[in-house]
Amino acid sequence: MDAFIQLLNGFSIAIAPMNLAFAAIGVLLGTAVGVLPGIGPALTVALLLPATFKLDPGGSLIMFAGIYYGGMYGGSTTAILLNTPGEAASVVTALEGNQMARKGRGGPALATAAIGSFVAALIATIGLAFLAPILVKLAVKFGPWDYFGLMLIAFVTVSATFGSSPLRGLTSLGIGLWLGLIGIDQLTGQTRLAFGVPNLFDGIEVTTLAVGLFAIGEALHVASRHMYAPEKPIPIKGSIWMTRADWARSWKPWLRGAAFGFPIGALPAGGAEIPTFLSYTTERKLAKHPEEFGHGAIEGVAGPEAANNASAAGSLVPLLTLGLPTSATAAVMLAGFQQYNIQPGPLLFVQHADLVWGLIASLFIANVMLLVLNLPMVGLWVQLLKIPLPWLYAGILVFATMGTIAANPSVVELLLLSGFGLLGFLMRRYDYPVAPVIVGLILGPMADSQLRRALQMSLGDPMVLLQHPGSAAMIAIAVIALVAPFVFKGLARFRQDED
Amino acid sequence: MSFFTRRLAAACLAVMAAVAPAAAQELELTITAPAGAGGGWDAAARSLQEVMMKTGAAKSVQVVNVPGAGGTVGLAQFAQSAKGAPDQLLVGGITMVGAILTNKAPVNLGDVTPIARLTGDPLVVVVPKDSPHQTLADLTAAIKADVANTIWAGGSAGGADHILAALITQAAGADPSKVNYVAYSGGGEALAAMLGGQVTAGISGYGEWQGQIESGDLRALAISYPEPIEGIAAQPLKAQGVDVELVNWRGVFAGPDISDADKQALGAAIEQTVKSPEWQELLKARGWTDYYAPADEFKAFVESENERVHATLKSIGLAE
Amino acid sequence: MVNLPGHSGLHRPTAIIGIGLIAVAAVTWFDARGMSIRASYGVGADAASYFVAAFLAVLGLAHLVTALRPGIVADEADWGAVAWIGLALGGLVGSIWLGLGFILGSTLLFAFTARAFGRRALVADLVIGGLISTGVFLMFNKLLQLALPAGPLERLF
Repeated sequence: MDAFIQLLNGFSIAIAPMNLAFAAIGVLLGTAVGVLPGIGPALTVALLLPATFKLDPGGSLIMFAGIYYGGMYGGSTTAILLNTPGEAASVVTALEGNQMARKGRGGPALATAAIGSFVAALIATIGLAFLAPILVKLAVKFGPWDYFGLMLIAFVTVSATFGSSPLRGLTSLGIGLWLGLIGIDQLTGQTRLAFGVPNLFDGIEVTTLAVGLFAIGEALHVASRHMYAPEKPIPIKGSIWMTRADWARSWKPWLRGAAFGFPIGALPAGGAEIPTFLSYTTERKLAKHPEEFGHGAIEGVAGPEAANNASAAGSLVPLLTLGLPTSATAAVMLAGFQQYNIQPGPLLFVQHADLVWGLIASLFIANVMLLVLNLPMVGLWVQLLKIPLPWLYAGILVFATMGTIAANPSVVELLLLSGFGLLGFLMRRYDYPVAPVIVGLILGPMADSQLRRALQMSLGDPMVLLQHPGSAAMIAIAVIALVAPFVFKGLARFRQDED
Repeated sequence: MSFFTRRLAAACLAVMAAVAPAAAQELELTITAPAGAGGGWDAAARSLQEVMMKTGAAKSVQVVNVPGAGGTVGLAQFAQSAKGAPDQLLVGGITMVGAILTNKAPVNLGDVTPIARLTGDPLVVVVPKDSPHQTLADLTAAIKADVANTIWAGGSAGGADHILAALITQAAGADPSKVNYVAYSGGGEALAAMLGGQVTAGISGYGEWQGQIESGDLRALAISYPEPIEGIAAQPLKAQGVDVELVNWRGVFAGPDISDADKQALGAAIEQTVKSPEWQELLKARGWTDYYAPADEFKAFVESENERVHATLKSIGLAE
Repeated sequence: MVNLPGHSGLHRPTAIIGIGLIAVAAVTWFDARGMSIRASYGVGADAASYFVAAFLAVLGLAHLVTALRPGIVADEADWGAVAWIGLALGGLVGSIWLGLGFILGSTLLFAFTARAFGRRALVADLVIGGLISTGVFLMFNKLLQLALPAGPLERLF
């Protein structure tokens, strides 16, 4: 109960009028910047960091909490309405969310994303407050073999995003894996496929690929079809709010999403993307109407969005307890702590107890504020789709490329962005799914390094993957998930033959 | 940290550094930090900027970030744009020496003009708290007995951490090409591997793991500095019978072919900066150790470091 | 399966993609063969390259086999619109490359993209694009202290 008293103490700090005001400003700023296409939460927090410099550490961290959660909420808006995810963790949200928006169901999609984010962040923040010390002990036990097992499961589940043809889906994944090879290998320092171009040495930036494939690729595709089949997004059809059926279909995915997001986000090398993939696949498997997936199934928005936000709170576990940033956003948060000479780590909860608990209490408050702020905003965001098509897409391209320029104003990076845009266009034109490319770029290098780390520690013995119970179990799950559909299909055919 | 956030954090740091009084000196400097924000080189560049403007060693100082490939992208760009320029400096360090060799970079530190060595930080050798190795001697005995199963965790391949692991392995009497070094993206991920007990020992900058060392989660066996450092309980490798020293040094360079007068002027401005009380204060705040050396001494030092790093990288198969 | 008269038996886009995949696989294979750094324990950096090369080669062959059957027919495309967006991106890249700055680049990007979607009011769109870009530039440069590439226009502020 010690943590509970500490948390109450934290609330007494966070509830002070000035601190509430800081939280509100943070939430507003975070949402406003986070909602720009091509600008994800990491960039949002980094951009707004200077705004907190002049405050005292307590007020500044509270504002931070608002910006952090605000940026996470904002990221899904453009993914749903404009098919332009600002970060890799929103790519899955765009799959179903944009289909819903095209059918005039953008309102419910945004609402389920917002409420799901609220529920998931609430659960995850409670987890952060009460489970952090235990969780972190488990998380550091997660060895490279375990990560590799997790990657295998993620790879198998990617097939859910393949669309109609396995060959096309695998090809997309292959392109992503190939892009993931480019650059200096972390383990040996060997350069792969950089062809002597120094700008490629650090690898392909996931954001550049996501913005290129989605924002620019989509713009090219829509422009090329505009003359023949003018496709105008429908702002609203039916209710702007979630119907009773929407609620009934959303609440379980929210909880399951949170259950994926929080623990994986808390892993030192877990990240926010893998839980969104896992959540999407799970919802597809469990849905009563799996045929709706790919055409705007609300479960496919509710689950991944909840997973995404829960992992954001989860990533605060290693950040606060180990000083270990596990996502780009958390890395920026770390810089924020350091500007006050506060080093997150094992002693943080002891040395700066007031600050930490004030921060955690502020996360709860920011979460509530965001829900109150975002639900009425749904109506406003949907109006975005009323902007005439030429200006809408022109604006998307300006903001999307700006994100890349802001991160790295090199011509090579812009050329890559344009190249990925062309790739995204051709893939859409010939009906190749786009999301697996991003999945390949994220998972490929992770699986590669974790497998090789495992083999390095076992001196080359592949049995290491089966000797650890965690990795053995996960590899078994992956194999079953891969083989089971074929077996069932075979059995069904066998029975048919019998009949 | 991703490319994305690094540059943005750079912008943020710029705000902090921008508050400084104008000074009488005429020098209008541009300092290239060949890395994104948050890392050591960027911090060094911005600290120099702050103190040079505070002390009047320069009238204005601008910091430009050119990240990529262990600093070699910045170095190549600098060598071209700062040719003969009297007002351009580049920050560099031991990691760049290694990156030039492993990346087979076309431009090396011999192509630019060393001006001064600034700081040098110790690396620390640690084991998890449950490790059977109580002392450095235990660890070196383990290396000698079974080099393959003595698994190290640290930063990127070919970096200072990796080089130190190889040097200690060699000094312990084992083959450095057999060192089992597992590279992580940074001190953070390596830390998780240490705490999880998946590796035998770890190497990182002392400051990065200070929290875990003080809380007792990690046991510091030795530091890589030649002498003991005030406030750090762990003793130097040398004092414990392992004849290895490695300092994570940082220094500044000017462009190729600059005139002797310009070189002297830049050297004098840096000397004035590092001898100021403001600089000493900043070193303390940042947890850095003073390691100043003027141009000629620094030039000889860079050459000897280059040879030493080259030999070590060769022994572990990362350079030819 | 009956091929339509006038069509060769080959579905051309699929065949081209298949050949492209095999070519990429070959490049990856040669790149892996040229790697000099070996890992002392476990497998080296080339293992993943060989794996991906083999994977892409198999996919390429599968495409070639698939190309023997009729595939999807891509929709008509308005190549003029695609070219306008290409020009828009070219305007941005060129402007950054030549040091003409963010505002000019983004203005061209905005106006040409709007043109690609059928707007004919290029001058009006240049003005709107200019206003948006200037606003973005001021917001990021002045308020958020983020240095977007500066050219002659940006130096006026």
